[in-house]
Amino acid sequence: MPEVKAYAPGIYARSEELVRATRDLDRGRTSEEAVEKQRAEDLRRFIDAQREVGLDYLSDGLLDWQDIFRPFGEGAEGLEPGPLTRFLATNTFFRTPAVTAEAPRLREPLGEPFFRIGELPRNGWVATLPSPHAMAVWAAGEVDPKALAEGVIGPQIRWLAGNGCAMVVLQETALFGGGMDVRPIRDAIRALKSPLPLALQLPFGDAGDVLGELVEIEVDAIGVDFYATDPKALPRPFPKTLLAGVVDAQNSLLEDPEELKRFGRKILEGLGGKLHLVPNGDLQFVPEVIARKKILRLGEAARALREG
Amino acid sequence: MTERVNFTTREIGSLAKPVWLVKATNGRPLEKGDVEHAQKWGGKLGVENYDELMDVLQKPEGFTSPEKARIQDYAALYGIRLLERTGLDVVYDGEQRRSEMYDHSVRHAKGFETRGTVRAFDNKYYTKAAVTEKPLVEGAYDVEEYRFVRMHTDRVVKVPFTGAYTIVDWSYDEHYAKDGALFGAAQKRAESRRAFGADAARDVVRPNVAGVVEAGARWVQVDEPAATTRPEEVPLVVETFNATREGIDARFSMHICFSDYSCLFPHVEGLDDCYELQLEFSNRDLKDVGRRAEDRPGYGVLEKFAKSSWDGKVGLGVVDIHTDFVEPPELVRDRILYASEVLGPERVEVNTDCGLRTRTWEVSFEKLRNMVEGTRLAEAALNGS
Repeated sequence: MPEVKAYAPGIYARSEELVRATRDLDRGRTSEEAVEKQRAEDLRRFIDAQREVGLDYLSDGLLDWQDIFRPFGEGAEGLEPGPLTRFLATNTFFRTPAVTAEAPRLREPLGEPFFRIGELPRNGWVATLPSPHAMAVWAAGEVDPKALAEGVIGPQIRWLAGNGCAMVVLQETALFGGGMDVRPIRDAIRALKSPLPLALQLPFGDAGDVLGELVEIEVDAIGVDFYATDPKALPRPFPKTLLAGVVDAQNSLLEDPEELKRFGRKILEGLGGKLHLVPNGDLQFVPEVIARKKILRLGEAARALREG
Repeated sequence: MTERVNFTTREIGSLAKPVWLVKATNGRPLEKGDVEHAQKWGGKLGVENYDELMDVLQKPEGFTSPEKARIQDYAALYGIRLLERTGLDVVYDGEQRRSEMYDHSVRHAKGFETRGTVRAFDNKYYTKAAVTEKPLVEGAYDVEEYRFVRMHTDRVVKVPFTGAYTIVDWSYDEHYAKDGALFGAAQKRAESRRAFGADAARDVVRPNVAGVVEAGARWVQVDEPAATTRPEEVPLVVETFNATREGIDARFSMHICFSDYSCLFPHVEGLDDCYELQLEFSNRDLKDVGRRAEDRPGYGVLEKFAKSSWDGKVGLGVVDIHTDFVEPPELVRDRILYASEVLGPERVEVNTDCGLRTRTWEVSFEKLRNMVEGTRLAEAALNGS
């Protein structure tokens, strides 16, 4: 049996209590301390859920991140949070990183509160970052993805490596639509000079058209959304670890662990490499009570698959 | 003699809800400033008998159901008057009675269940529902809203309705997609979304539209902000539009925003009798005056409309709803003149990018007034007067 793991990278859902607290904060009806207390409670519950079901890498859920680009838009010289823009695939908004210099530089790597790693096991947690290519594509203004890799994302990965992170999932949200050129992403990944294993995840979209080219990129794993991608599009044998997006983070429908297990078995036929089960994108797109149930089912499915 | 050019001006749908409406209907106490807002705008807009509203608001909490209904009526009336006073040719009520475009639709339909709160951005959230069985509405629910508007204005009225495709795209699917979505994913997903779309158009949106048209409405605007979310599903947007308007005798238009309009081609050519597409453009445009293509990059996609065999009108978004920047009339003028050059003025009408619900009434008023003034400048330029 090849290696089968499961984990939940990406931005996790906020509980109804945290939603209420942050809303109240915006309206001047509660304090930063009260929000922080609730956020800590959310984090504790999220970590407990992951531990309970035996996920292989734990995540802190990026509960302080307003969107996947924002901490870097705010934390790098040469970038600033730009106009509100819609991620069409999720009908949610983010602030485009607005480019103010040719070679943006992270002032200092993001630590607390953007990475709340105190409770995470050393060398047993997964971090999520934007792919420098996606960041460049979504940016307001011209910027070379390599420049973002060298000056912004690369330094962050080195900080993660020094703080017990086991692997980094790069969210690549700008590779759909056909006819895409993967060379800029290949060059940017090289420029990261990552000391950690990297996964390039394509959330919420059909990756079928680009998988053949993506496997040539120097990453350890590729993430595929199997709610949008036909499994037949997967090159076999698959020369990378496959992050199989088998839990639908865009739908409230709860997955049946038995069906996930059957699907996992089918994927493993002729795969040749390792299989990691993950959600197909950020679990923040379902309410937290549903997200937690999905995590439990993800873990159950991985366990069942390992047990044969 | 050539025909004189006259553009019609309109807002897309929503205006911000005044805090006195929000607090009164949510059971929160009104503060002095809230009541002053009602007083100030009642006077500024010349709202008839607004003293009655002021009397109701004196309470300032514990409003009864009839009092809440009266406050809602006044909010609608303020919305109508605000749009009229800015000089718009076409009005509605700023959607003052509707919670939010998606919630308003699914709340009135069977087959949806609320699942919880998800984030739109930052600390802004929305409530999301799942379709759990074949959805339907048992009758039109916006008829009284329409009648109130019709009774209180002599302007042309355009009624906004949330489109079926957007309902599909913004809902979780626990009904159509429940059987093995992972195996044969793309095809199954396409089939389930198509079935959901057909049901939503025929049994959720259409009955409401039909009822409002029967009550006298002559112009239906189908709002499809999600239209190009998935480019491969634009044909489904067209199918659901056609299913919604089938057999209904009224002018139909469609509003789309913050999207990649190039995905609409060539599919829009399949729209049945769509009078106009109201589109957002200014959000992506420069803020300086100028009528050359390089001055108006936000409107570049108009070339595709000019070349398409779809020959409906384009409702030109000339006012950005995401910023407090008040577009000068000359900027509005130049956007219209550029579009007129590309499409011909006979294919151009004028609107905001989207609803102004995120702007204060002060900013909305100024933006709309300048939009109307800029439109008149454009007409003057084209008519040589």
